[in-house]
Amino acid sequence: MKFFTAFRKKSPWILHYNAGSCNGCDIEILAALGPKFDLERFGVINTGNPKQSDIFLVTGPVTYRSRERLVELYSQIPEPKVVIAVGSCTATGGVFRGMYNVEDGIDQYIPVDVYVPGCASTPQLIIDAIVKALEILETKSKEIEKPFKLFGAIAMVGNKLSRLNMATRVKHDEI
Amino acid sequence: MKKTIQIPLGSQHISLLEPIRFKFECENEKIIGVDADVGFVHRGVELACTRSFEFKQVGYVVARVCGLCAITHSLSYTLAVEKLLGYEANDRIKYLRMLMVELDRIHSHMLCLAHTAENAGFEALFMQIMADRELVMDLQEAISGNRVQFDFIAIGGVNRDLTPELTSLIHKNLTLLSEKIDTLIGLFDNNWSLSLKYKGVGVLSLEDAYTYNALGPLARATGLATDVRVETSDFPYEAIGYKMVLESTGDIYARNFVRLREIVNSIAMCKNIADNLPSGEILEKTKGKPKGEAVVRVEAPRGELFYLVRGNGGNMLERVRIKTPTFSGIPAMMEVFKGSEYADAPAILASFDPCMSCTAK
Ligand code: SF4
Repeated sequence: MKFFTAFRKKSPWILHYNAGSCNGCDIEILAALGPKFDLERFGVINTGNPKQSDIFLVTGPVTYRSRERLVELYSQIPEPKVVIAVGSCTATGGVFRGMYNVEDGIDQYIPVDVYVPGCASTPQLIIDAIVKALEILETKSKEIEKPFKLFGAIAMVGNKLSRLNMATRVKHDEI
Repeated sequence: MKKTIQIPLGSQHISLLEPIRFKFECENEKIIGVDADVGFVHRGVELACTRSFEFKQVGYVVARVCGLCAITHSLSYTLAVEKLLGYEANDRIKYLRMLMVELDRIHSHMLCLAHTAENAGFEALFMQIMADRELVMDLQEAISGNRVQFDFIAIGGVNRDLTPELTSLIHKNLTLLSEKIDTLIGLFDNNWSLSLKYKGVGVLSLEDAYTYNALGPLARATGLATDVRVETSDFPYEAIGYKMVLESTGDIYARNFVRLREIVNSIAMCKNIADNLPSGEILEKTKGKPKGEAVVRVEAPRGELFYLVRGNGGNMLERVRIKTPTFSGIPAMMEVFKGSEYADAPAILASFDPCMSCTAK
């Protein structure tokens, strides 16, 4: 496990999905990957495969037809994963807010870890976001490595069996 | 009976920036049929322009139709509204607008060249062109304050002026860029392995270009002389040294070459503008509300962009209709795919430079 965590920290791979953006933020991501800003010095590679990615870069206010693919891609990325919302229209809908075919931001569908402001957001901001994402990725992988205790104490909430407490995090001194 | 297989490409695909889905029908390695699905990024901009934004704001909204040719969108809209208001911009405004449009064309063409190279497997060339492109991006940032989506054009003028320092920066960067373009031209012309991927691949004939209504660099690569910059008289393009660029073979090589030579032409025009900028106000007051109907055509990097604006004298417009270059180019695109190898499909696709954000709006 340590073996893989080291790689995940040193070379996070990204998956880039355009969920209805105007291409402005997409070309800025390309520029950030290019030689001047050189995101690849962090070991970042733009993969096309969700199964190999750690960081999910999304642009655009989710359109009616792309939401299904967005969720599908998100669920295919293995844990731990970080979602970065690039551009103001990803965060709130931006100029597209309230138009009939858009869904006003990706956090309606998937949880977002880092928001990048700007229309279009600049490569510098995108690099900052990815550096931030690396930190989050590290805490997330630590969190995942903590063992679970299945079938903990049975708890009732409002006359119903609550499954929430049945799988609890074990404190390290307990094992 | 021959057996065919169907191969999908997109909507999320590594070599495609654009969310478009193709369904290729292949027989062995040859593509014999194509099906394109473009509606993934439809947002409903046209309706919003008439329902939720006033006519003064719409210029900034339609810029968000596309990030690559944003300035052409806001320019076409602004021209249409100015026609309705009965306002004619002075020469300084016209020149500044032309300057930004040409800079935008340079960066869009370079991105397309880089993409074509990447999709044909030349990763290092992609990086090289992206590095050269930063020269233009820096210029755009210095002049307008943002790298893409600069809201430079306003109704009645432009939002920022050109200072003497900027003029010298334009000269410096564009001179550097033109040297790099010269090397690129040599590379695209003489490199043997590039020619294997580009020459004679994805050919569109002149008759097909006529029949399928090809536009922009796609048409000019087949020898079809069409360019809105000389067909309309909104801007004094001849005065600053516009030359039409034509090739005759219609393959990827020709399309790349049209783009490269247009960049050279645009660089010359930008330098001309920076040198011979007329004096005058940069933002003038316009009076009244748009009433009536106006049609405007402007040459975007990918071809003719068409705007229709109708107003009824109120703050809200009645109709904004946008017809984008890629929309008219799709039939020609489908025609080229038939008969080519499946392995060439990404490079052919990139060489058309399709813009799905524009098409689906
Ligand atoms: S934030 Fe602005 S530039 Fe970026 S995709 Fe959205 S509209 Fe385009």
